[in-house]
Amino acid sequence: MDDPNTDLIQGTLDMLILKALSLEPMHGYGIARRIEQVSRGVFKVNPGSLLTAFQRLERVGWLNSEWRQTDKSRRAKFYSLTRSGRKQLEVETTNWNRRASAIARLLKAEG
Amino acid sequence: MSLWRQFVRGLRVLGNRKAADQEIADEVSHYLDEATAGFVSKGLPPDEARRAARLELRGMTTVREQVRGYGWENGVDILFADLRYAARRLIGDPGFTAVSILTLALGIGASTAIFSVVDAVLLRALPYPNPQEIVRVWEQSPKGRRMNLAELNFDDFRTQNNTFASLAAYDYRLSSVSGGSEPVRVNIADVSSGFFKAFGVEPSRGRAFAAEEQRLHGAPAAIVSYSYWQRYLGGATDLSKFHLRMDGAVYSVVGVMPESFDFPPGTAAWIPRELSAQGLSRTGHNWRGLGRLRDGITVAQARANLSTIARRIKERYGKDVDLNDAAVVPLADAMVGDVRTALLTLLGAVGLLLLVACANVAGLLLARTSARRKELAVRAALGAGRGRLIQQFLAESFSLSLAGGGLGILTATWAVRVLPAILPANLPRQQDVAINTSVLLFALAATVAVAASLGLFAAWRAAAGDLQEALTDGSRSYSGTGASQRFRGFLVIGEIAITLVILIGAGLLGRSFLRLTDTSPGFSQQNLITMEFSLPTPQWPERLDQSGIVRQVHLVQDIMTRLRANPGARSVGLAGAMPVAAGDDLPEGDFIILNGQKPPANYAEFGRIAQNPSQAGHALYCVASEAYFSTMGIPVIRGRMFGEQDDWNSPHVAVISESLARQRWPNQNPIGQLIDFGNMDGDLKPLTIVGIAGDVRARGLDSPPSPIIYVDYRQRGMNANSSPTILMRSAAPAGEIVSAARGIFHDLAPDVPVKFSTFADEMGGWLADRRFLLLLVGLFAAAALALAAVGIYGVVAFSVTRRTQEIGIRMALGAQRSDVLRLIVGEGARLAVLGVAIGVAASFVITRLLSSLLFGVSATDPITFAGVAVLLSLVALLASYIPARRAMRLDPNTALRYE
Repeated sequence: MDDPNTDLIQGTLDMLILKALSLEPMHGYGIARRIEQVSRGVFKVNPGSLLTAFQRLERVGWLNSEWRQTDKSRRAKFYSLTRSGRKQLEVETTNWNRRASAIARLLKAEG
Repeated sequence: MSLWRQFVRGLRVLGNRKAADQEIADEVSHYLDEATAGFVSKGLPPDEARRAARLELRGMTTVREQVRGYGWENGVDILFADLRYAARRLIGDPGFTAVSILTLALGIGASTAIFSVVDAVLLRALPYPNPQEIVRVWEQSPKGRRMNLAELNFDDFRTQNNTFASLAAYDYRLSSVSGGSEPVRVNIADVSSGFFKAFGVEPSRGRAFAAEEQRLHGAPAAIVSYSYWQRYLGGATDLSKFHLRMDGAVYSVVGVMPESFDFPPGTAAWIPRELSAQGLSRTGHNWRGLGRLRDGITVAQARANLSTIARRIKERYGKDVDLNDAAVVPLADAMVGDVRTALLTLLGAVGLLLLVACANVAGLLLARTSARRKELAVRAALGAGRGRLIQQFLAESFSLSLAGGGLGILTATWAVRVLPAILPANLPRQQDVAINTSVLLFALAATVAVAASLGLFAAWRAAAGDLQEALTDGSRSYSGTGASQRFRGFLVIGEIAITLVILIGAGLLGRSFLRLTDTSPGFSQQNLITMEFSLPTPQWPERLDQSGIVRQVHLVQDIMTRLRANPGARSVGLAGAMPVAAGDDLPEGDFIILNGQKPPANYAEFGRIAQNPSQAGHALYCVASEAYFSTMGIPVIRGRMFGEQDDWNSPHVAVISESLARQRWPNQNPIGQLIDFGNMDGDLKPLTIVGIAGDVRARGLDSPPSPIIYVDYRQRGMNANSSPTILMRSAAPAGEIVSAARGIFHDLAPDVPVKFSTFADEMGGWLADRRFLLLLVGLFAAAALALAAVGIYGVVAFSVTRRTQEIGIRMALGAQRSDVLRLIVGEGARLAVLGVAIGVAASFVITRLLSSLLFGVSATDPITFAGVAVLLSLVALLASYIPARRAMRLDPNTALRYE
């Protein structure tokens, strides 16, 4: 179900979505932009994968969704983090940091 | 939690697929708008911004489909689509669908019905607490023969074992019971104190036996069965007013057993064994043994324990005892006994029938599949995965099988309601036969197994070979490859082989049955009316005294005189049991030949003389009246039968059967010999042999003629060892005679329960289990034969269609109609020959399992084998002749153009 052409590192999309939503509820496009902006354009999000990921995360219970008026007075589907979503973000962040620092140490040792 | 969420969300989508799709579409189009706006704000003109946004999304439809594809509900959607498609296809081919569903319903229905019997009789646990701990117990002779327990041996088993929580002795007999709403002839059981404890069941009303009811000359008490209580005691709550008269004593009713308690089967009342004096024998095997094992003790341990005790008895008493071992068998196994083989045979036959049914449907599916290969090739080319294609086949086979299985279960429900009418009376636990959860589970499992194997088989055959080839095949009327036709051939060969096995089984059983009914019992069976009755008799060892015998003789003579006066009555006789049909009621035992010695004064002396093999013999004991032999048509071989002069005061006489004379007095004249058989009737007065009568298969048609000693009822009376039966030969219709006889009994002996019947009916009952087995196996064989015929017809007819062009060419080149006929029939014949050959080979192995059910034919009876092979071949030829005739009549002109 995941698009293999995504420019993201496999398995990080979920974490990035959760991170993006940790500040405030957003709609799909907003999340995509946020990820691009914060990563300074390093990560480009495939909309198909993104919208599918929303379905998955919502089913698992990490996201809630709601149709709301945007500031441009259009209806859009806004996603927000649930309590267990927030917990999941913490877990993934810790895991990621541990792995990242391990890889960093490995690279340093070799260099 | 999240599983629940998955489930609910999925259901919501399934509930309103449209709304869900709309929501996804809205979200995607909003995304597109926002992306466009984003590009515009970066300075792109609106048109280009929109194009850039679309590019980023890589197609809105694709995204929508991608998002929509997430979730388990999509699998359900596909499944439904497949099922709808399968249903449409099945409805579109009603002939195929109807034949397949009916075939499967036949197979599954028959299997389910038979399984319900097997479940009730063999599989279901007995309705007692921890039934696996309840066992039957026997003494065992050095030759390995199981014997009932002798009183003193039982006492030793009971007091010395350390493996039984309870060990009991019991016995049952037919007896007249009065004191209820009417006198009846029913089974009553004498049970020792541990009996109910061994079952772990107590009376549901009233109480168990008290201590003072379980000792010699104690207060006579009886516990009655639920059905006796309902039927003859009106289901009354107050039991204290009921007193039952049985065998001359009066018993107060103290309890009623629960409805589910039925042991020994058919018992109406239980009385304490301890009330009457026990013999002190170690060789009189009068008691059946039953017990409950202690917690954690295995059957093997219990047996080892009793074996040790038995060996101890043997060591101590040596030649005075005939046991040296013991046998312990779980009660459930012991009850089922010989029925097991018959039921397993039925289950095997019905299983084979199900296989034939499946093979038939598989053949039909195969024909359809090969016609579908092109469609499959197109679907595969369009990207349908293997899994999806298999699912499509499974959807079809499941639709078929579920319909067939459902119809089959309905059939089985009906069959279970009809079955009691044909189930043999001696089948234990048949009242439990029902469609219950485990039977339904069996039906479901069978259905699913059939569905899965048919679906996978069809998918496998469809995917076999190169699908590309199917696509490029030019002919529009593509009708199957040679390979699939060959495969259908294999299926039909298998079908024929299996059918042959069932047919041979049915043939062997049928021939056994004919042999059996052809066997002469040793007398003429026509126009024989039977009246079984019981007289109050003292229990062994108390003997009938002279006045008791005189009373009996008076009554019986009065009855027989009046019966003889009936118009149409030719002659009337009396015997101690109806031979053959109720031959098991005749007791057997050792007698002694006096050889000039003076008769024994007591049983100890009798027993000592019986130790000497030159003075001992073994025979059945049967009381008879003067006219018994002439009434039955048993010939006089030598000497004389009983006569007027043989009354109580004259020397007691005996008539022996020819086989006993041959066995015991080979090349001698037994007439005039003095013998003693007093252990049977409690009278040690010796008997003089005065005549030899023709042989009778008293124990049953399937047993060799029994050695019998007949004694005169006027001299010996009828004690508990006799089940007196009046036999009457009459030219008048049985119904008239019976109603006249009923009146006579009512006048002369209103308290005596009688069972009126005809010998033919009683023999029918005796043959019932064999007839039942034969009937069902025959039915299954006929069904399998019909299916096999349809299978052969299908293959040959299909082949004719496929070879139409070829036939046209042959005819155009000058082939005669007979050549075409030979060509097509030859195809069917080849299948038949192969199938029959395989079937015969398989039968040689399989029919051996039937040996114990056969009589007078061997398991490899050449006549049956040959007959069945010929029958099946003829059916195969006939089934291929029909399509062959069509081929023969083809117009070569049309055939050549046939596509």
